[in-house]
Amino acid sequence: MRIELDRPRCEGHGLCEEAAPRLMHLDDDGELVIDVPDVDGPELDAAKAAVRVCPVAALRLEAA
Amino acid sequence: MTAPIESDIDIWDDDILVDPYPTYAALREQAAVVHLPKNDLYVLTRYDAIRDALGDPETFSSSSIGFNPMVNEALRGTSLASDPPIHTQLRATLSQNLTPRALRGLKVVIDEKADKLVAELAASGSFEAIDSLARAFPIEIVADLIGFSGHVKDNMLRWGQAAMQVIGPLNQRTQESFPIAGELYGWCSSVTAADLLPGSIGRGIFDAETRGAIPQGSAGHIIHQYLGAGVDTTIASIGNIVALFGHHPEQFELVRENPELVPAAFAEVLRYWAPVHIWGRKATRDVEIDGVTIPAGAQVGILFGSGNRDPRHYENPDTFDIMRNPVDHLSFGYGPHGCAGQGLAKLEAHAIIEALARRVKTLTISDEVREPGNITRSFESLQVVKVVEA
Repeated sequence: MRIELDRPRCEGHGLCEEAAPRLMHLDDDGELVIDVPDVDGPELDAAKAAVRVCPVAALRLEAA
Repeated sequence: MTAPIESDIDIWDDDILVDPYPTYAALREQAAVVHLPKNDLYVLTRYDAIRDALGDPETFSSSSIGFNPMVNEALRGTSLASDPPIHTQLRATLSQNLTPRALRGLKVVIDEKADKLVAELAASGSFEAIDSLARAFPIEIVADLIGFSGHVKDNMLRWGQAAMQVIGPLNQRTQESFPIAGELYGWCSSVTAADLLPGSIGRGIFDAETRGAIPQGSAGHIIHQYLGAGVDTTIASIGNIVALFGHHPEQFELVRENPELVPAAFAEVLRYWAPVHIWGRKATRDVEIDGVTIPAGAQVGILFGSGNRDPRHYENPDTFDIMRNPVDHLSFGYGPHGCAGQGLAKLEAHAIIEALARRVKTLTISDEVREPGNITRSFESLQVVKVVEA
């Protein structure tokens, strides 16, 4: 699966980073960077948690 | 199409507004969607139904977030009452000064102010928590943020309360509040950059309008939303923090022992007592949820507090337990209209909880008074009869 970010919708709340710190992070300007866009196995669970916790629904998972 | 499941309650009945949770439980057991003929309304009661609706603005339009036509007309053109694609630009304009990255610089000031205020209250032995803390703190923070003082600051509490009340149906509370909400509207329509302190976020919004970075006329709308949405709700949640720590000293002790639990504690306060009781949407088409059909054009009411207590989603939902860290609670809404000010709300509330954990050993509360409100559920007064300094 692939993590897709709706960039204009992202407001940098950072809850996704807390849920999946190995997959994404906020840079020094507070912009979200997806470090590992393609995920499977245990990383998929972390990605699902990150998608779930985004308060503005800016993240989704799509078939790679 | 299935027959709607109905209840003959009035969701704005005084007793229900003061303690809605037994009613929520009964509605939730009936169905995910319950028709309330007395209110000409379909309420969403279960967690999944609420979250799905909030994530689907095409089916659940924000053109009718309020429960009377006058308020929906007055809110037209704001991001609050818009749908994508117009909403996307309005939202960006509203939220660019409220995102966590924009607010980073404010954290130190907010933390210092919270610590000073809580330290004074803790040293006083006893205090009334709503006027002296729950109201005083957010009013000062938002006034500084927007950059005003004097008569405007003095009016913030009544303006903020009225702006929420008028979102309700045309009951007495709404009618009494319209003239007061009109004062806020009038002030926001006439305020200029020169009225706001240099260096404030409010001043920056007007500068952005002058530069053409945001549409002409939008600065006043934004100030209106900061004041209308950011005051009454934050006051409610800070009052709830004090009350819930008073009711659950063992939970407060957990935060005192481990300040890393502060964000989890605030999330649980918001889940347990939602500051916003109900919020509107309009169904744009016939939509079926768990076998019940909401007809196209119907007014929908979202019961955040009911979703937050749904046993289908949270184990032992009626237990206040900060260890559950419910980051997916519904009190900030969700999706494209998710609370734009949640970053600021968290800064303020986390600062207060940290200060309480640092400065207070125990607190004893009594005389909790709630007044019914159409939209916001909060304390009118709350006595801390005894506070022991840490």
